Amino acid sequence: MHNVDEPRFDQGDGMDVPRQASEPVVRDRIQSLANEQDYAVLCMQGAGQPYGALVAIAFTHDLRHAVFATPVTTRKYQLLNECDRVALIIDNRSARSGELMEIEAITVTGRSHLIKRGEEFEGMAKLLVSRHPYLKSFVKAASCAVFRVDVVRFLHVVRFQEVRQWIPNDQS
Amino acid sequence: MDSERPVLIRLDHPEKSDEQLVGGKASKLSQLARAGFRVPRGFCLTTWAYEKFLEEGKLTDTIRMELGRKSMDDMRWEELWDAALRIRATFLAQPLSAFLRQTIAEGLSGLDASAALAVRSSAIGEDSAGCSFAGLHESIVGVRGEQGVLDAVRLVWASLWSDAALLYRKELGLDPARSRMAVLVQEMVDADRSGVAFARDPRDPHKEHAIIESVAGPCSLLVDGLVEPDRWELDRKTHRILAWIPGQRDDGHEDIPLLEARDLKEILQTLLSIERVFCWSPDMEWTGRSDLLTVLQARPITTGVVDDDKARSWYLTLRPGAARLKALRERVTARLIPELHAEGEKMAAEELDLLEESDLADTIEKRSNLVAKWKQIYRDEFIPFAHGVRQLATYYNDAVQPEDPYEFVGLLRDQPLIATQRNQFIGELAQQLVEDDALLSAVECLLARLSGDLDWPTFRDELRQATDNPDTFIHGFEDLNDRFLDIAYDHGRLHDTPEPLLRNLVELAKTSNQCSRSDQELLFSVLVLEQKLLIAVGPDRRDEATNYIQTARVSWRLRDDDNLLVARLDSQLLRALEVAAKRLREHGRIVGDGCPNESHVKLLVRALREPLSSPICIEPPRDVDEPVSFAAAPGETQRQLIGQPASPGLATGSVRCIHGYDDLGRFRRGEILVCDAIQPTMSHLIPLARAIIERRGGMLIHGAIIARELGIPCVNGVHKAAEVLKNGDLVTVDGDLGIVTVGSAEFDLELRAERD
Repeated sequence: MHNVDEPRFDQGDGMDVPRQASEPVVRDRIQSLANEQDYAVLCMQGAGQPYGALVAIAFTHDLRHAVFATPVTTRKYQLLNECDRVALIIDNRSARSGELMEIEAITVTGRSHLIKRGEEFEGMAKLLVSRHPYLKSFVKAASCAVFRVDVVRFLHVVRFQEVRQWIPNDQS
Repeated sequence: MDSERPVLIRLDHPEKSDEQLVGGKASKLSQLARAGFRVPRGFCLTTWAYEKFLEEGKLTDTIRMELGRKSMDDMRWEELWDAALRIRATFLAQPLSAFLRQTIAEGLSGLDASAALAVRSSAIGEDSAGCSFAGLHESIVGVRGEQGVLDAVRLVWASLWSDAALLYRKELGLDPARSRMAVLVQEMVDADRSGVAFARDPRDPHKEHAIIESVAGPCSLLVDGLVEPDRWELDRKTHRILAWIPGQRDDGHEDIPLLEARDLKEILQTLLSIERVFCWSPDMEWTGRSDLLTVLQARPITTGVVDDDKARSWYLTLRPGAARLKALRERVTARLIPELHAEGEKMAAEELDLLEESDLADTIEKRSNLVAKWKQIYRDEFIPFAHGVRQLATYYNDAVQPEDPYEFVGLLRDQPLIATQRNQFIGELAQQLVEDDALLSAVECLLARLSGDLDWPTFRDELRQATDNPDTFIHGFEDLNDRFLDIAYDHGRLHDTPEPLLRNLVELAKTSNQCSRSDQELLFSVLVLEQKLLIAVGPDRRDEATNYIQTARVSWRLRDDDNLLVARLDSQLLRALEVAAKRLREHGRIVGDGCPNESHVKLLVRALREPLSSPICIEPPRDVDEPVSFAAAPGETQRQLIGQPASPGLATGSVRCIHGYDDLGRFRRGEILVCDAIQPTMSHLIPLARAIIERRGGMLIHGAIIARELGIPCVNGVHKAAEVLKNGDLVTVDGDLGIVTVGSAEFDLELRAERD
C-alpha cells in the first residue's frame, strides 16, 4: 500500500493534488524555483548503490530538459554511463532555513543523455554557460561531458508535506 | 537613476563624498573641491556601478572560482598572478550594459569633449591613513573618446584583482571578497610643472619640514619613477627654503630650479590648508603653478605604517614599469648574466686541492659572500625582471583580446634556454643507447650491479671492459656533466652523483620519441603570433610592441637560466667545502660523517684557520627522502585533488614522488611525476612522465611549459601534492580541468556492506 503523503510513481497523469484558487499553478512555482536556484542534487545509481552529487544546472524554457556538466573522470560520469535513470532535487532551504513551511523543493525524475560535441552540444553548453558564466572554460575543456536530462515529471513539495506533480509532456 | 544606489556622481556634488560610495581618492578630492581647492573637473563612477557590472556578468562567481581553488595562504604569487590574469581577461571580455554605457556617456557630456582624460582607481580604503594602495591599482592617463573611457574603466575595475593588489591585501589581512572599486574620470590638466609634496618629511615627521618634488611635464613621470625630480625642503613655519636638490634635466640646466619661490610658497600654503581641513598631514600630487595650482590627489602620509609600506614597495617592485624593465633588460643581458656566468667559470677553473689551509678558508669565505651577493641580485633584479613576461601578457591580451589568455606564450617558444640545451644533449646520449643494444645492455647491467654505490671512474672503467665502443658515450656523458651538471640540488652536487642521470638515460632510451614540433613549424607559429600582435596594435605602436616582445623573451630565458647559473655558484661553494671537509677529516678534525653544506661555512673556515682548535661535528642531514606525511584522520583518504589545468590531456598511471635527488634515478617511464616543484635541474624527466602533478602552481613555470610543449597532461598548484600522494597510488590526471582523481570510482565498500 502506498503512503498517502508520498508521490506515486505509477500515477503520472498530471496534477494529483487539487490546488487552492489563490495559489499559482504548480508549473509557475516549478519555473520560479528553477529560475532561482543554480544548483541541484543529481541522484544516480550503480551496482544497486544510490549516489548523489551536487551539480550546477540550467533548464530549457519549456522545462522539458535540464543540462549539467561533469568531468569524465568522475564517479557520476561513470554511473550515468551505466544507468540513465536519474533524479534531480532542487530546493530553497538556504533562503528560508528558519521557515519550514515555506521551504519548497522539486524532485525531477527523468533520463540522462550524454551529448556528443556538435550542434546540440553547443546549444546546451550555451544554455548552461549563460546561467553559469564562470563555467565557460570548464564546459569547453575536452575532458568535460555535458548531459541533458529529459524530464519525465516534476514533484513539487511545500508546507512540509504538500506534494503536487506536473508532467511537462502531458498535453491532457 | 536609483537615488539610493547612485552610479554616477560629479566631483563637485555637494553631499555625496561617502567613501563607501566613491572610494578613498574620489572622496578626498570631492571634499577638497567643496573646500574651494582647485581639482580637475570630472565625475566618479561609484562602487554601485562596479557592483552592477559584476552582477551583470556574474563576475563575482568567476572571481570566487579563481581565488577559491585553495586558501589564499597557500597560493603563491605566480598562482595569484595567473588568477589575476584570467580575472582581467574576463573583465575585458564582459561588455558594459546599455545602462552603464549611457551612464558614462552622461558623465562625459559634462566634460570638455576634446580633453584628454585620466581614468583613475578609487577603491574603498585606498589612500587611508592605515594603508596606501598607491601604485597597486591601475590609473590610465591620456584616454580619449567614449570607447577609450569604457575600456579604461573596465581595466581599472579589473586592477582591484591584480596580483600586487591581492598580495598586499593578503599581507594586511584584508578580505579581497569585500573589496569594491569606484572610478574617477577627470580632465587632464596640461601644465609645464607637476609633482608630489608632503606637509611633513615622511622620513622624520616630527621635524617642522615640508618636502616638495617637481618634474617638468605630467606628474606620471615622477610617480612612475621615470624622471628624477627637483626636491626642496621648506620650513613649515617660516616658509623658508632650507634645501634644494636639482633633479634630472635633459637640457643641461640643472642650475636653474624648476619652481620659483612663489610657486613653492603656493604649494606649501595649499599643503597646510589641506592639513587644516582634514586634520591630517597630506601627501599631495599636484600640477600647474602658482594661481593655477591644481590638486590631483591628497592622502595622509603613511609614515606610521612602515612595515605595510615596505610590503607594498616589494609588491610594486614585482611589476616594474616599461622604462625600468628596459633598463633592467640592458643591465641583465649586458652585465649581470655575463658576470654570473664568468663567476661560475672562474670558480670551476680554480684548483682547490693545492691551496694552503688559510687560502682555502679565504676561498670559501669569498665564495660564500659571492653566493650571498648573487642571491640578493636574484631577489632584487632577476625576480622583478621576470615581470617582462607578464608585461607582454597584459599588452598582448589588451591588444589582441584572445580567447586563451596564455596565447602570448607562443611568442616565447624559440628561446635557447640552458635547460633546453642540456635536455637536447641528454636526448642525444639516450639516442646513442637506442642505437647500440650492447651499450644499453652493458649500462643497465652495471647500474644493477653498482646500484647505490656508483662512482663515475669505476663505472667508466667497467663500461670500457664490458662493451666495445663506449668512448663516444663516455666522453659525451663527461662533457654533459662538466657543462651542465655543475650545479647544486638538494644540498648536493649533481656533478658528483651520476647514477640518477644514468638511470634516466636508460629510461629515456626505452621511450618512444615525443612528437615535438619541427624548428620550421615552431618558427612559423611564433611569426604568426607576432603578426597578430603587430596588426592589432597598428603601425604607430609597432616599435613599442617589438620592444615588449624582446624584453619578454630575455625575461623568459632569464627566469630559467638564472636558476641554473646561481645553482652553479652554489655547487662551486659546495666543492670548496667538500675539499675542506676531506682535508680536515684526514687529520681527524671532523667528527660525524655528514656532508658539508652552506650552513657549515663558518665552522669549516674557523677550523681551517685555527689548526689547534678542537674537532668540529658534521652530522648527516635529516633524511629528506622521508617527507612529512599528510596527517589524515583514520578512514580519511583523498579522492579528488584540485589544482590548475597547466597542460591539457587525460592520463592514468602510478605515482612517483620526487622528494630528493636520489628519487630522480628511481623514476620510470610511464609514471606520474609528483613533486613540490619541477626545477630546471630535473626538467629532463618530463618526457618520461605520463603526466605531472606539482604543488607549485603557475602557467608559466618550467614544468607546465615543457609539458605543454610535449603534450603531457599537467595539473599544478595542487596543495600538498607530494605529501598527500604516495608512490604507487593510481591517479588520473585531468590537465584540461585541473583535477587529480585518486583511485577508481567504485562501490566496493557499499557492496561488501550489503553482503555482510
